[in-house]
Amino acid sequence: MIVVSNVSKIFTQAEERVQALSHVSLHVAQGECVLLKGASGSGKSTLLSLIAGLAQPTSGSIVVAGEEISKMPERLSAQMRRERIGFIFQKFHLIPYLSVQENVTTPLVPENLPLHVIAEKAKRAMERCRIAHKAHMSVHRLSGGEQQRTAIARALVHNPMIVLADEPTANLDRKLSLSLIEELRALKDEGVTLVVATHDPLFFDLDFVDQTIELHHGALRP
Amino acid sequence: MTLTPEIIALLTLDVIFLGLGTLALILSLRIAYRWDYASSTPLQYRLTKQSTLVAVIIKYIFILKLPLFLFFVYTCDKLSSVITGAMCASGVVNSVGFGLDLTLFKLFNLYGFGFWLLLHVEDTSHVRLAYTRLKFILFALLCVPLFAEIVLEIGFFTRLDVSKIVSCCGTLFSAASSSASLSLLFNVDARLWVCLFYFFYMVSLIALGFKSTAGMIVSNTLFLIFALISLIVFFSTYVYELPTHRCPFCLLQKEYYYVGYGLYIMLFTGTFCAVGGGLLALMTHTIPYRYWRLSGLFNTAYVLSISAYPLAYYLKNGVWL
Amino acid sequence: MLFSFRWLLLEYAVRSLFRRFGKNFFIFLILSFLIFILSSVLMIAESIKAELNATLKTLPDITLQRFVAGKQTQIPISRVDALLEIQGVGSVTPRIWGYYYFKPAGVNFSVVGLDIYEEPYSATMARLIKDVNWTQGSYDAMMIVGEGVKTILRENYYNDFFHFITPEGQTKKVGIAGVFHSDLALEANDLIVLPKRAAYEIFGMNASDATDIVLKVSANVSEIPTIVAKIIEKFPDLRVVTRDDIRVSYQNIFDYKSGFFLALFCVCAFAFFIIVYDKSNALSSEEKKEIGILKALGWDTDTVLQEKFFESFILSLGAFLFGLATALFYVYALQAPLLRAIFTGYSALKPPFDLPYTLSVSMIVLLFLLSVPVYIAATLIPAWRTSIVDADEVLR
Repeated sequence: MIVVSNVSKIFTQAEERVQALSHVSLHVAQGECVLLKGASGSGKSTLLSLIAGLAQPTSGSIVVAGEEISKMPERLSAQMRRERIGFIFQKFHLIPYLSVQENVTTPLVPENLPLHVIAEKAKRAMERCRIAHKAHMSVHRLSGGEQQRTAIARALVHNPMIVLADEPTANLDRKLSLSLIEELRALKDEGVTLVVATHDPLFFDLDFVDQTIELHHGALRP
Repeated sequence: MTLTPEIIALLTLDVIFLGLGTLALILSLRIAYRWDYASSTPLQYRLTKQSTLVAVIIKYIFILKLPLFLFFVYTCDKLSSVITGAMCASGVVNSVGFGLDLTLFKLFNLYGFGFWLLLHVEDTSHVRLAYTRLKFILFALLCVPLFAEIVLEIGFFTRLDVSKIVSCCGTLFSAASSSASLSLLFNVDARLWVCLFYFFYMVSLIALGFKSTAGMIVSNTLFLIFALISLIVFFSTYVYELPTHRCPFCLLQKEYYYVGYGLYIMLFTGTFCAVGGGLLALMTHTIPYRYWRLSGLFNTAYVLSISAYPLAYYLKNGVWL
Repeated sequence: MLFSFRWLLLEYAVRSLFRRFGKNFFIFLILSFLIFILSSVLMIAESIKAELNATLKTLPDITLQRFVAGKQTQIPISRVDALLEIQGVGSVTPRIWGYYYFKPAGVNFSVVGLDIYEEPYSATMARLIKDVNWTQGSYDAMMIVGEGVKTILRENYYNDFFHFITPEGQTKKVGIAGVFHSDLALEANDLIVLPKRAAYEIFGMNASDATDIVLKVSANVSEIPTIVAKIIEKFPDLRVVTRDDIRVSYQNIFDYKSGFFLALFCVCAFAFFIIVYDKSNALSSEEKKEIGILKALGWDTDTVLQEKFFESFILSLGAFLFGLATALFYVYALQAPLLRAIFTGYSALKPPFDLPYTLSVSMIVLLFLLSVPVYIAATLIPAWRTSIVDADEVLR
């Protein structure tokens, strides 16, 4: 499903070259759950954004679902994200002041689907994440758990094959973190490919993780 | 120099176009020169982002140019009440030597930028952005008529002299016209132009049936030319119901229910879809059947509505003009 | 399709505008104010032009003035017969009129001498004097006056009559027979109409002279230039003013005036757009984060750009409609206090006339073109700058 071959990424910031990733290779099969470990600044997030096509590698290639996302023009990689990839961010990153339903439909906005199709998809995603009863409430008035379920509903609204999670449990208390892990397990059971970047010890030794990869200063630790 | 609010509005927008256009030109020259899709250097990265800016500037200019063209004609029409001798926009346009050139440039630019947008749509949905370099070279070339138009327009309005006496359309569009090429049109039998008009309409339909790219481009270009000539020489007289009144501008006036706007939109859209789609086909080697179908639709609508005028006149009065 | 419409994106743009209410409301207010000023000025100019055009319709086809040593002077009435001989001339009427300076109020009245039995030279005149009782009573003569004149006279305690002072220093007591109400306020407000004999006395003029001569053309209006040529040939000392000449010069004055104002306005607007540019160019970190989220969720640069375009469009269209509505109210309901002074300042009298309602589609188009596209142009580059924010910002 995801094939990362020999990828390097160099940022040029204020005349200074920062090697964020060097010669990373990785293979994720369909339905697998992969854990990316590493201290902050080790390149986990960079790798996630490369897999999602949000940035392009300096060298190497990334193939997602049979298509080389690392060489795609922006318009097509965005389309790829809309169709195949769901995102769960650190601190959820919901869009403030919008309602739950509006947040959940955001990924569908560029598609220009008929309104009733969009409403239908949003309803299904919200019901699945048990947040449909708050559909029209503004997200800043939700509790932490409800925000979390909204974020997951948003990631799932277009039925993605792959879900990428970036430090999903950072800033969460233990109870919420555990419930998030349960949500991820449910996704894995449905056959969704998962890539989770985290340094939260709660994730280590989970039974449904197929592969654990540790990054250290941008390189894979053997 | 006459500064009516309309002219100030046109000039203000011209200045904006000039500024944004220059920026877009500089960027597009650089993109045309340095573009390399395969590379992943910071430069290529920057160029990718700048190409979206150029595209958005061009979209802005084009989308405004469409209504502005109508507004320009309208302004000239309004000025005709100030300038002695002018009865409609044609007198005003011709009061400055290059007025007709300006109008033609405007028309050409609409076609050019419209085509650019077709190419742009084709490019952004291509997996390797194969036409990016081509479209920016094309834009750099299109900048020449664009800037020419803007400079001519500024010159046109600064030289416009309300106290000068100009000729009205009655003398401009007649065999006595001072312009040699215009008077030639009227010395030839009008029936010839009308026949050519219908002939090339048929040819364009045949080209559409055979999906011939070259056929579409050539037949529609000629169709456009003869449509305009036969409109001036023959059809307009039936719109005005006056055998001596030949003018492509009076059609736009209230007395004739602004019918000209509708007619010109049909004619220009129809021929644009055919020629633009044809050029696109030459570059991308695919048949843009969608555009051509539209073209056939608009051209037919134009032919039917313009033919309705003489027919209706004949049925009502039993004679031809 | 080339430009397919995205309703959800529009909805998103509206929400986005309200989310940054403070900043957007400030821009909305200033933009509305600019559009309000611009619309008001153009509407007043258009309105005055319409009033003048209505007045012009009542003017004679041709007016003849005699010039001696470069100064306008009286025309001998004896020339009337020679003028009547010219082909195409319908009627010839010598006029006696002028300005009477009323010192206590510091204003000029337009005084027109008229013979009740003579055919009046304009339809308006005929209407004005139709139902007036000319019975003289104890006065030297009777007159009818415009509303403005009536008010000024009353302020100076002349209720039923007025003492004109002739150039010889004698007083002439003229009774007020009536006041006319005219929809052509601009023309009739400062007017006094009285019998010709009285007018000659007040101006101290010789009864064989006229102030000017007006012609009606019986032939086709397009023959006017030929008639003008014949008149000049016969009487080289006459200056011929056709109605068209007056119309063109009026139109020029007003276009020039509003054009000049527009030029000043452009400078103000330009300053405003610099501020807009500056404000929207500085991206807040929150905004950057939002764009990053959207991009990670599958939006591309074009979608973000379109969203930003919708924002500018909604904001400027809203400001345009609001500014236009307030201007309509201000100009036509409130009669444009303060601003109309710019346009009416040139006339000697300050007649209080109503601005007639003249809103055309072309005016709305013009105002639209001067506001919405210009605003969008100012936000074009900032919007692009927003749209190219890198999505991986949120992933750090």
